[in-house]
Amino acid sequence: MPLFQSDALKRSEAVKRAALGVLLIAALGPRIASATLGEPEVTVQTDVVRAHASIKSSQDRANYRVHEIQLPSGTVMREFVAPNGNVFAVAWQGPTRPDLRQALGQYFDTYASAPRSKLADRRHVQIQQGDLVVQAGGHMRALSGRAYLLSAVPSGVDLGDLH
Amino acid sequence: MVSMRALRSGLVLALALSATACGGGGGGGVGVGPPPPPPPASNVASVTIDQGPLNASVNMLFASVTVCVPGSTANCQTIDHIQVDTGSYGLRILAPVLTLTLPVETLANGNSLVECTQFVDGYSWGPVVSADVQIAGETAHSLPVQVIGDTRFTNIPTNCSSTGGTQEDTVATFGANGILGIGPFQLDCGDCDTVATHGLYYACATTCTETTVPTNLQMPNPITHFAADNNGAIIVLPSVAAGGAANVGGSLIFGIDTQANNQSGTQTVLTVDGNAEFPITFNGQTLANSFIDSGSNGIYFNDSSISKCVAPPNDPTSQIVNFYCPPNTLSFGLSIQGMNGVMANNLTFNVGNAQTMLNSNFDAFPQLAGTNPNPGSFDYGLAFFYGRRVAVAVEGDTTSAGTGPYIAF
Repeated sequence: MPLFQSDALKRSEAVKRAALGVLLIAALGPRIASATLGEPEVTVQTDVVRAHASIKSSQDRANYRVHEIQLPSGTVMREFVAPNGNVFAVAWQGPTRPDLRQALGQYFDTYASAPRSKLADRRHVQIQQGDLVVQAGGHMRALSGRAYLLSAVPSGVDLGDLH
Repeated sequence: MVSMRALRSGLVLALALSATACGGGGGGGVGVGPPPPPPPASNVASVTIDQGPLNASVNMLFASVTVCVPGSTANCQTIDHIQVDTGSYGLRILAPVLTLTLPVETLANGNSLVECTQFVDGYSWGPVVSADVQIAGETAHSLPVQVIGDTRFTNIPTNCSSTGGTQEDTVATFGANGILGIGPFQLDCGDCDTVATHGLYYACATTCTETTVPTNLQMPNPITHFAADNNGAIIVLPSVAAGGAANVGGSLIFGIDTQANNQSGTQTVLTVDGNAEFPITFNGQTLANSFIDSGSNGIYFNDSSISKCVAPPNDPTSQIVNFYCPPNTLSFGLSIQGMNGVMANNLTFNVGNAQTMLNSNFDAFPQLAGTNPNPGSFDYGLAFFYGRRVAVAVEGDTTSAGTGPYIAF
């Protein structure tokens, strides 16, 4: 992806972030919502399901980039993009959930139909179905969670940072 | 702790003795230790931890609720096994157990108001209806109540199902006949009067669309609609034996500092943040998104040094692997910091072997613990309430001990 090889990466951290933000807004427009798990970063361009969302920040970390997206509901989503340009994880935190059908894409049905724990208490999700991991917690008015693809997590990424 | 408090008050002591004389200890299998249940009073509902409607419940607290057609004292129904949940807001009843037809709330444009309630692991779809609701001696008139799985509204909007997880519209998927959400906020949404995009409330005619909702039609903490004793509630449960117990009984007392039986005394008051959370410090880590919650069935935290359970051979995908199974009981300490700066230090809890517990016939387990999907959270569930008297004060309401939202014990 050209964005990843931008000269901005060679500048100071602050300049880099600002430049990336400008590039992203230019590339994606101000009314983007979320990209989709397992699909290219540019899927944000085609997403119009949740209009009025906006990128709060985009940050390069070691081995991946994270976009922080503010939904109009108040919920914040973070999308984690691997160097190959694909979204390998999404995370959310806020009063209500984002559109997970949109965010999980082809993996949504796997998540929605996963066997439920016999110890389910409406507070916890810990699902692993093949390559897909979904973990969620919290309670009414404060829900958080994340989904990632095991095989797509770039090497050297600490899973604990994906939230 | 509570018995000491009782000793300071002759009145409470007398009431406690009177309850004991009436056989207030409940059925067999109740755990040992304080506190004794208070006597029947207009603001006291009996609560139980038992196997629930599915004969499979674990650490689930239940009450009975009477609902009536608004304005009627004859068209009423008492429904048992309504989960008592300090981690949610609103009375919600599963349609299959409801024999009454309750009127659906309508918006100004005449559309029916239907909610897609979001729980962490799924969603529940059903209309907001109006009912007169009685719990113990307290009544809430024309209370917004959700009827989950109501056959009058069967088309679930995509925006609702897209929030993901399990559709929890039957007793089998919900695990209870309903839920009584009495957490420390007034409503189940902080800004649904101005924000329609949560995917919570829908205006339904032939189709359903997301909508804003006037606060008086939103799902409230039912306690706030009582004529009296409406500033919060106190849950009183006995201590439970380490290995568990069956059919534990306790009390749900409405109001805080409104009657002789709900005095704050010297309780530690911890105010909560805008998410009904506060920081808990555990193993040297301060976990900002922590909470105490009667609706959580375990103690959920992360400690990689504790042995996890192993899935049984006949159930290789069992979620038991997310629970702790130490060979010997482990003891831990923690501290809680209220948003008001008040500290609750030197609290202790034990972690037992979850598989051993679940192999028993018990349903109340003070030492059931598992991993937390949120690394920044300590979720202290119903186990926190065992052997304690825990008050939950509603936001904006004042007691002699402070102003809600707070949790005190």
